[in-house]
Amino acid sequence: MATDFGVDEESRDTLVQSGTSSTRALAAFAVAVASVLFAISLTALFEVVTISEPIAGVPVTALLGGLLILLGGTVSMFGVGSRLGYVETDPRASAGLVAGIAFGGIWFTVASLTASQTFGLGGLGWFVVAPVIGGGAFFATILPREDVGSTVPAGALTALTGAVFLLDVIGPQWVWDLGFPDAFFVAVTAEFTIPTLTLFCSLLAGWASAKAYGGFGARGRHMGAYLLVYINALSIVGVLFVLLAFTIFKGLPGLFRGFAIGAGTGPTSTIVLFGTDITWTWPFYVPFAMEGVGLLNEFNGVLPAIFGTIWLVIGAVVFAVPLGVGAAIFLTEYAERGRFTQVVEVATNGLWSTPSIVFGLFGFAFLIPRFGGNKSLLSGALTLGFMLLPLVVITSREAMIAVPDEYRDASAALGVSKWQTIRSVVLPAALPGVVTGVILGVGRIAGETAPILLTMAGAPFTPGSETVDVIGGFQFTGAPPFVSNPALLEATSALPYQLYALITAGVGLGENVASPDQFQWATALVLLMVVLSFYAVGIAARYYFRRKLQYQ
Amino acid sequence: MATTQEERTGVETVARAVRRFRKFVDEMPAEVLVALAVMTLSLLGAFVGFLLVSSLTIVPFLVFLTSAAYGWVRYQGLTAKVLALSTTIMTILILLLITVFIFLEALPTIRFMSDTVFGIEVPGLGIFTTQNWDAVSPPINYSMVPMIHGTVLVTLIATAVAAPLGVAAALFLSEIAPAAVREVVKPGVEILAGIPSIVYGFIGFTILSPWASDQFSLVGQGSYVFVGIIVGLMALPTVVSVAEDALSSVPESMKSGSLAMGTTDWQTMTSITLPAAFSGVSAAVLLGVGRAIGETMAATVMLRGVPKLTEPIFNAFYGQETLTSLIARNYGEADGLQMSALFVAGVILFVTVLFLSIGSQYIEWRMRKKLGGEV
Repeated sequence: MATDFGVDEESRDTLVQSGTSSTRALAAFAVAVASVLFAISLTALFEVVTISEPIAGVPVTALLGGLLILLGGTVSMFGVGSRLGYVETDPRASAGLVAGIAFGGIWFTVASLTASQTFGLGGLGWFVVAPVIGGGAFFATILPREDVGSTVPAGALTALTGAVFLLDVIGPQWVWDLGFPDAFFVAVTAEFTIPTLTLFCSLLAGWASAKAYGGFGARGRHMGAYLLVYINALSIVGVLFVLLAFTIFKGLPGLFRGFAIGAGTGPTSTIVLFGTDITWTWPFYVPFAMEGVGLLNEFNGVLPAIFGTIWLVIGAVVFAVPLGVGAAIFLTEYAERGRFTQVVEVATNGLWSTPSIVFGLFGFAFLIPRFGGNKSLLSGALTLGFMLLPLVVITSREAMIAVPDEYRDASAALGVSKWQTIRSVVLPAALPGVVTGVILGVGRIAGETAPILLTMAGAPFTPGSETVDVIGGFQFTGAPPFVSNPALLEATSALPYQLYALITAGVGLGENVASPDQFQWATALVLLMVVLSFYAVGIAARYYFRRKLQYQ
Repeated sequence: MATTQEERTGVETVARAVRRFRKFVDEMPAEVLVALAVMTLSLLGAFVGFLLVSSLTIVPFLVFLTSAAYGWVRYQGLTAKVLALSTTIMTILILLLITVFIFLEALPTIRFMSDTVFGIEVPGLGIFTTQNWDAVSPPINYSMVPMIHGTVLVTLIATAVAAPLGVAAALFLSEIAPAAVREVVKPGVEILAGIPSIVYGFIGFTILSPWASDQFSLVGQGSYVFVGIIVGLMALPTVVSVAEDALSSVPESMKSGSLAMGTTDWQTMTSITLPAAFSGVSAAVLLGVGRAIGETMAATVMLRGVPKLTEPIFNAFYGQETLTSLIARNYGEADGLQMSALFVAGVILFVTVLFLSIGSQYIEWRMRKKLGGEV
């Protein structure tokens, strides 16, 4: 895009463009029509609006077709009007190679599909038609001035699509069989094609009209590009929002089945502190999070899986954080920067991008034989610890490197030893970064399924009585290794695995789960809540520390 | 912090290390040396014991803990340094152990799947030259070709989704967005990375797969296209955050210089920022590709689990099996040679992703060198 840098041949003397309001309004109208079409096509794609049923007496295809022709017409008219001098714009000599290749490619595809599928021309016909039309579009884009080159090919395509819909060439009953073998049969239906084509044309024409709104030239390109970039950012946030909202909406009924609130409704819990039992009764009852699965249960829940996940995370953190922080201290404070640190850096980054299932395989081959030969909580936690380790090293290193050298120098100038400096100056200053990194990393491993699938997962439907009790499980024995903890060496369930098991088990969950669908979505929701709460805490911690540092 | 050392030859380095070690031994009291030796040896012993599956592992480990505690009380600074060094070594050891163990476990199948080329028998070649995976009925054959085909298709589609959208989002975050919008979108992208893959898989399995089968009149459920789209969505945050780092590492003076010439923001981005950060952005895409290759659960849940090629070979509307989903689906009933075949899949994944990671690090390193920053 080196051409962008050149000064326009026809650039004007005015610094600020005082675009006339009426012509601007026409371009803004085109942008508005494009966004309406964008919205309709999205709703149609997700079957909120059905293609075959008319809206207010007008068939959807006719409506879309009409709007597309209107949009295409407006966009082309604007470009031609600008060329003939009716509209005051600031175009360049050409729309540029990138636009030319894009339009040429699009028209090439359209022409080849039409030639081979609609008109049934054979290889020869296709060979003639597609390059001619594609090449034509390419030259129609780059040869004329920018105002025509960037609007007419887009407008024409949009209008053509509109006409195709309006004339019922692609109607609600349209199907395109790709002609694959029977076992791999694929046919593209109108329910998919019509919204997708509309979506594409509205984006294309929307881009062209945003360019027109900016008066073409550098400003117009800026406008067109910003429109697309903003739509992209919006749709990413939109996808996130839809995913979360959908899971919450579907999961809440299952989560609150049998919900009760009031004194004495909840289960009774006991913890032993300093030899005395402290017992209390929860003032609310959420069976899904407080019960296991049992034949006699009125409501079933995932309590054992929740505890499994908690213990997994604790185990992974206990293993990975001291190791990772220690390694980061050595690399940033003690080691000389050179080959060795470079190798460790490459190794940690490599470890960080290693697929989780490979960690699972490693845990299966390395840890399981060393912890009693069967799947266990301990091997699961260590496997997740291996996954967490590189992240702890990377984020701790970043946090320690970010501590200004003046801190270290000032401390050293006071005659404080190196280790004392690290302990009382570097570590406290780096702590926020380390904590944030660890929390975000924990959020990631808490939702990992693949490694625990191979190293830890036991029966997915665990009765409430089999909830792991790591603290109560420690026993001291006379023979080496002197300490044993059956709770650590047994397989248990965890939330992500529970969800996986629920999916693969399908509808046949057995009679002890009343409505499988609700149970699945509620499990997904609980898992999402656990993982996202780690993220929320991590992100909040980062903001908190950053603000605090700024005030300093 | 030590500054970067100029290049030294290996012999000199070793000689210097020996000299330093001698000096260290001479200077330290014997008691310290004994404590250090006990610590090192006991830790080594514990490691060897663990490797050999010995129940006595606990003994050297306890010795190590005691000596470390003693050292901590008496010579805290030195002990801390030694402990930090040993944690670093353990981190590297883990990567080595992963490499060694998955290769060892994969060996039987690699030997089993030998094939001859030009009259020379090459072990493991059959994995790539044959086309059928059959673990149950003879002739038993463990070809990885169908799974590699699946992984390649899924990765291609995921990259087509994640690369343009991710780079555009990174541009938005680093160059375009006003501060207030940025504060909303950035955590949003991070949370997108936080949603567990099994939840993506669940939504894909219950919502997207039936919808896709309906729209394309497919036989049954599961298609590479939609697994690719979901995986692309999952790889997106990786691309965004790495590309954003690269874009914001372009010196502000370069951008201001361009803006001072009277260019628009967009012109500055396309002619200055993106070209300068190009290698960093491509490293981001490489890392995203690595994530997509290794994504397991969504693929396992959404695919059909039939290790066969699709017909025709570019038919991505049917999703059979990827390398990752093969492992996750078959680990349960597999044993012996079949289990080893799953490790072969693991080795292929591990090596590919490791290369991508090293490649992207090399590209980033070169870019930082070029932009004159700290290396």
